[in-house]
Formats: sequence, structure tokens, C-alpha cells
Amino acid sequence: MKPTLIESSRPGAGGAWVRDGEFPADAEPDLGDLPRRVTSLALPEVAEVEVVRHFTQLSSRSHGVDNGAYPLGSCTMKYNPKRHDANANLPGFRHVHPLQPESTIQGVLALLHALARHIAELTGVDEVCLQPAAGAHGELTGLLIIKKHFEKLAAKGGEKRDILLIADSAHGTNPSSASMAGFTCRIVATDASGLMDLDALARALEGGGIAGLMLTNPSTLGLFESNIARIAAMVHAKGGLLYYDGANLNALMGLVRPGDMGFDVVHINTHKTLSTPHGGGGPGAGPVGVKRFLAEHFPKPVVRLDAQGHFSLDDGMRDSIGRMKSHLGHIGVLIRAYCYILSMGPDGLREASQDAVLNANYLQHHLRGILPPAFDKHCMHECLLSGRSLPITPYSFAKRLIDLGIHPPTLVGAGCVYFPKHLHNSMLIEPTETESKASLDAIIAAFNEVNREACADSEFVNAAPHTGSTRKVPEGSKALDPRG
Amino acid sequence: MADLANYIVHLPSDRDAMLTSMGLGSIDDLFTAIPKDLRFSRALDVPAAMSEWALDAHLRALADRNATTRTHLSFLGGGMYDHHVPAVVDAIASRGEFLTAYTPYQPEMSQGLLQALAEYQQAIGAITGLPVVNSSSYDGATALADAAWVGRQALAMKAGSGATPVVIAAATLWPQHREVLGTYMYGRGVDLADLPCEAESGRVDLAALERLLAASSPAVVLVQSPNRFGVIEHVAKISEVCRRHGAITAVSWNPLLSGLLQVPGEQGADIVCGEGQPLGIPLCAGGPTLGFLACRKDLRRHMPGRLVGKVADIYGNPAYALVHEDREQHVAREKATSNICSNQALCSVRAAIYLSLLGDTGLRRLARIIAAKTQFLADALTRIPGVRRACGAPVFNEFLVTVPRSTETLARLLDGGILGGLDGATLGRPGTILVAVTETKTRAELERMAAAFAKAVA
Repeated sequence: MKPTLIESSRPGAGGAWVRDGEFPADAEPDLGDLPRRVTSLALPEVAEVEVVRHFTQLSSRSHGVDNGAYPLGSCTMKYNPKRHDANANLPGFRHVHPLQPESTIQGVLALLHALARHIAELTGVDEVCLQPAAGAHGELTGLLIIKKHFEKLAAKGGEKRDILLIADSAHGTNPSSASMAGFTCRIVATDASGLMDLDALARALEGGGIAGLMLTNPSTLGLFESNIARIAAMVHAKGGLLYYDGANLNALMGLVRPGDMGFDVVHINTHKTLSTPHGGGGPGAGPVGVKRFLAEHFPKPVVRLDAQGHFSLDDGMRDSIGRMKSHLGHIGVLIRAYCYILSMGPDGLREASQDAVLNANYLQHHLRGILPPAFDKHCMHECLLSGRSLPITPYSFAKRLIDLGIHPPTLVGAGCVYFPKHLHNSMLIEPTETESKASLDAIIAAFNEVNREACADSEFVNAAPHTGSTRKVPEGSKALDPRG
Repeated sequence: MADLANYIVHLPSDRDAMLTSMGLGSIDDLFTAIPKDLRFSRALDVPAAMSEWALDAHLRALADRNATTRTHLSFLGGGMYDHHVPAVVDAIASRGEFLTAYTPYQPEMSQGLLQALAEYQQAIGAITGLPVVNSSSYDGATALADAAWVGRQALAMKAGSGATPVVIAAATLWPQHREVLGTYMYGRGVDLADLPCEAESGRVDLAALERLLAASSPAVVLVQSPNRFGVIEHVAKISEVCRRHGAITAVSWNPLLSGLLQVPGEQGADIVCGEGQPLGIPLCAGGPTLGFLACRKDLRRHMPGRLVGKVADIYGNPAYALVHEDREQHVAREKATSNICSNQALCSVRAAIYLSLLGDTGLRRLARIIAAKTQFLADALTRIPGVRRACGAPVFNEFLVTVPRSTETLARLLDGGILGGLDGATLGRPGTILVAVTETKTRAELERMAAAFAKAVA
């Protein structure tokens, strides 16, 4: 473990760059009866070069898509174009204050307006809002829209609807978003073929009070929910709405659209499908699209275009759920998403999804000798493989991949996915479309190599990784430091 | 052969080889699970793919339609400020190892990122005076909503099945923060009570706070300092009142204020949150920024979001990892403290670098320079006939002035290339302007503003 920067502190050595010839920093401002600080704060006190070296060294102990393969299922770790980063950093965007008069931010508003149209086209909805900060934030936004919709209907004598159906394979964000929006969750089981159990759905729909169903399609098991039209009809027949978790949209661009499948509310993750960098966990963006009848509930403010070509911000919507974020959203992220759509064009977007599905199937096919598919059929953009015949646990198997420069795939309990009990031994692998055939072949070779090693010397693999700055952290480790 | 589209890596021959290796004839064979009648049969109606140079030109044209703090002299604040961002912050934060990584679920492959986040938590712990820091919330507004829920859940657990805890919010929060809080509490089904401010000082009305707390069940009290009028709240006095009534004090705090004042945790705040944009994060039309959130140790179980801590590797050596995940959505699902998954990690790394560049020495100096420049401009503006300070209590980096014809004044300043501040009408105080000052303003610029202001008011 590398010492923290504060351990190199030399009091007085910090902040040399903070100087102002006109306003020296020696005068104490007049702050009346407010309590002044007399002790010094535990911040590093070092020279600029020490900061640069420290954080550069830390970066060398981190792994991004720029470093190598990152087949982390459900996270769509595709290449993030540098061009788009550069465009997001143009001074004309970077130095805009969010509270400037509308007339002075027409470029920002024009971009947001166009991006919303493009995302509406991509997902098959009527209207899109760009305010949500991330996928989960989009879920909360979408669910509050559904809540508001049914409250408005209830005020006119409609049924009280506060039950939300959620697949047992759903991302953990689904039930937690539902709970934050005040819904009660009812879990719907997956059948033996990996799809939603329609009998279970029918039973879950009984008894009234159904606000809707949240679904990821392709599901977290990497499968396209072929019965989606029937599922939509069943939910709509009970007066419920269909919510699309767009975490897995990368399989479908230009091929099939959530709106056409019957979904009423859709969120997408720009940091997955639209190639904005994940930033070590964020920031992302979670645009939400809806069918027209729900748009009156969008968070405020909404970008409008008038007949004169002037963009404005409308915050006077009476039935809005209210504001979800301080300002207009993650503009720096949304600019990259916009650039991605323009760089790819309609054919490029479709090819990206086709290649994402091709790559996942290629891995599934060529790994089946050691990791048979959990469901024996073609997968979409990610494959769920069973680790039941491995000589060691999938956890230990995955850790050895680190030595070979490959980020481990998604395992149960790690990250945002959750698998039903009988799939607890599985790995979810999502190579994305930006891995070449050579890279995929290297991944396959690495998996086979680890399997051979595990058969020959399981102790060696169980103790991996053997390289890098840190040895294996056991599964389910508890924090040592009570401060957490 | 057709040209490859941007960012497509497979040659047609690669695709063919891959399909053949799987015994397939066409890519369509992989999509048979999608019912035919659902398939999208036309091309997406989005613009044709652009070259890099055409894209650049298009984006530059859009960027050029915006005024910025570089094309205009800006005194806009209201929660986000035109601070100087050292080049080091951009240089490190744009390294692909950080920029293109995902959440550090694999500690062995992510020690650097985890340590950067741990150092962020340490630094925020120092400037808030509270030991438990998450990394991170989306922005200052959602961090405030998170703070309200942390406090409310802690009270609910303590009270058992008895009285329902209430959330009391100062009327002087940023209007946007108050709205976001309202939306989140609408979702949770929690009612909000308003805590008024004193007209004269602009500070929270302590007598009203006493009355509210005496009349209510256990409460979380949310205040902001400096508040929406730029006025610094007396956190020690507020938290003293709260403590007497068994209420939890949550403070939304400008982190740079810790350069001057006793940190809020030491002043008695139980939860401290805030907008982290001043910590090395560009304005970027309002996002992405950073919401920071810190709390007392005993509130940790209610904390939303990622926590980085130390664990032991298989040889007993310490390593960084994500810890206390039993609070989070991927483990606790509907019982999670929050649904947050993607957060503002890269902005947290920026803040860690920024605070490392400042140190205690730099933070003190920066806060004093900002306070001195703010005082200079406030003095200059209030020498103008008809212009006076709207609130009596001390301020830090922005101040509210009463101005005849405020809206017109701002329009005239804009005509002269100056973004003069926020119209007080948006803060519930028509006839005033909120003027913000940062270290980036020179004396000549402050004088230019004062002269233009005098002309615009006349």
C-alpha cells in the first residue's frame, strides 16, 4: 500500500500557487461573532510536483478501457473516443455558468434539444429529458413520473396504484429506485429458459394496484425477452405502465426500439451505450424518454424551441415531478453522447450493436468447453456462463485474469447485477463491440490458460493475483478501519 | 470494400471468420430471439456519420453561441463559481487509467483509484470535521436530499414505531436545492416544514427554530452556509438549539469557507453536505459536478453511496476496497439507503487533487483573497447612490444588494459584456442582485464592474 500524500506533508509547503499581487492574503476578514478556525486542517502540504507524481503513480495502479480488455458484464466498457472528450472541453462549454440568461446559452440548449431528439429516435419514444445524473437517477425520475401520472388519475377517481413488478434478475437499482419513489416491489420469477415466467407475471398482476413493470431487455442474463409484446399487453391490460431499464441497450441500437416493444418510460445510460467514459464510477448521465402522455410530468426545466428558432427553459409545468438536479444535467457528459451519435451515424450505431452481440456470442461459443452457457442459446451483447464445472470458484478464477491484464467479468454480488439463486456460480461477460477479433482471441486464450493452471495447481490460482500492487482480497472482506 | 464506420473495429472479413467459427452464416442468425414484427425496419433518423473535422467544426459552432466567463466578465454565483482550476487537475483527471475505469469492484486492479477516492474522503473529512465521507453524491442538491434521508432514518430507528420524524428546511437554501429536496421527499412520502429567516440579518430565525422544534416530533434541520443571500449562518448556534431538542443538524456548506471558519462538524453539525464544484471542477453549464456528504460515525449505516476503506489481503496486508456494501443497492436492493450506483467518482478525484494542491496553507490564503475581493466590490457597489446591502450579517464570497430596477440593471450590464449577478427575484427577493466574486477577478475588473454598475443603475 502506497503512503497517502498527507504522510509527506511539510507544513507551509502547500498552496504556493495561491497568491494575488493586488489582494494579499494576510488580512482577516470581518466575520463578526462567527467562530474562527484556530487549528490547521489535515490536508497534504506538499509542492505541486509531489502532487503530480503521487497521483500519476496512483493512476498507474488503476485499469481503464485505455489499458486493456474490460469485459465487465452489464457495464458496457467500450472505447471512449478522445475526440469527444476534447469537444466536451471546448471553452465555449466548459466556462458556461448554468444560471446565465437563456439568450447567452443558445449553443448549449441547441445541443440538448438535438440530443433529446436523437435519443427519442434511438429508443422509439416521443419526448426525452436529459437532467438525470446517472442510470439509477433516471430510474428514480421515470418512476416518479409514473407515480405522478397515477396520482393525477386517482384524483379523478382512478385506482390507487403503488405496486411495481420487478424481475428477480433485475439490477439492484430497480428495487431500490422503486423504494425511493414510494412503491412496493413485487418480484416476478425467471423461468427455466431464462425469460420472465409468464404464469408468475399473471399471478403478480392479480389483485389490482399495479403501477407497472420494470424490465431490462436484453435481461441481466444476456437474453432477449422474446415475449415482450405479450408481457406489455398483459401489463397494459391491467392499467399498468412498462418501464425500460436501458442498461443493456447496447445490444439493440437501430435493431429494435424499447418504445416499439411497448415500453412507456425508458432510461438509457450514456456511459454505457453512448460511450461516455465511466470515470472510475461516474459521472454518467441517465436521459429519460416517455410516450407523449407522460411528458407533462418531466422534471423542470425543459428545453423548448419556439417558432423563431430561439431556445428557452420552461420551468412552469404544473404537473412536473419537480427538479431532479441543481441545473440542466451533466452537460459535459451529454456533449460526448451527442458527439458519439454524430460520429457513428445510423449505420455505425446499428453496426456497433451487431458487433457487440457478435463479440459476446463469439466468447460464449469458444469458452463453452470450460464455461458452458447458463442458457444454451444465442446471447445478446453479453453472455452468462456457468462456472459449475471449474476446478476452483469463479471468484478465484476471475482474480487470476488480473495477472493476464484482463479485467474480471461480473460475478454475483460484485457491482450492479444480481442473479437468481441457482445462477450464483455464473459469470457475466460483456466484451463490447470495440474489442477486435485478436483481442477476443486473447481473452479466450487467457481463460483457457487459467483453467489449465487451475486443473494443474489450484493453490497457485487460488492465491492470485501474483502481480500488481496488491495481493488477493478475500471475498466478502470486512473493513479494518472503523472509520470506513 | 465499404469504409469502416467510426470506432468500428471489425473488418468484414473478421466478422465472416467469427461467424464461420461458430457455424453461422449471417449476423442475423444471432438475432432470431427478436420477434420479426418488433424489429426496426428502417434506418435511424439521425444525421449521417461525420468526419472528425466536421464534428469539430459543428461543436465549435455550437460552443461559440454561448457566452462564457471568458467572453464576459462574470459575477454569477448562486452555488457554482468561476474559480481557477489548476492545470494539474485536468492533466491527472484526463489520464485514461482514471477516466476510462469503472467502479473499482476489483480492488487488486484498482488500488490507485481506490486510494485516490480514500484520499478524497480524508480531505472532505478534514474540511467538514466529520469522519464518514461517501464518494460521492451527484451534486449539492442531491447530497442535501441524501442528508435529509440519512437524518430521518437515524431518527426513525431511534424513535422506533413512535412519532414520525419531520424534515425542516431553511427557507434560505438555494432555490434549486430546495426543489430537488422537495422532489426526493415527494418520492419518499416525507413532508417538509419551512424554517424562516430574519429579514434584517438574512440568517435563520433561531426563535422560529426553537418554536418549530418544540412543537414537532424528532426533526432533521437543514440549513445552508453561506445561504442563498450569501450570508454565513451561525452553525454553532443553530446546532446548539437542535441538540437541545434532540434534532439532527445537517449543513450544506461551501467547502472554501473552511479556510476561515471552524469546520462545521466541530461547530456541532451532525451531517455536512455541499456542492463540490468549487474544488477544481469547471462550471460546464452546471454539470457534471460533485455532491459531497459527510456524517458522524454512528450515522454511517444510513449513508448512501460508495465508501472506500481498508481491508486485509490474504496475507494480512492492508489494501483499499469498497466497504460496508450492505447498505447499497446491489446488496440490499429495496432496503438500500439509496439507489445510487454510478456517482461522481472522477469529480471526487478532481477534488482530491485540488485539495492536495491547496493544503491548509493554500485554503486559508484562497479564502482570505476571495473574502477581500468580495469586500472590495461590496464596498464599491454600496457607495453608489440607491445601492445598499440587503442583509446585515457577514458574507464570504457573494452578497445581496438592493438596487432600483434590478432586472434592467442586469440587462444593461450584459449589454456591456458583464454578467452582473443573479436577479434576486429568483431568490424570492425582487429588487435585489446577488453578486459573486472569486479569486480570478482583478482589481481593474472589480473597478470596471463598479463603474458599469453605477451607470446601469442611474
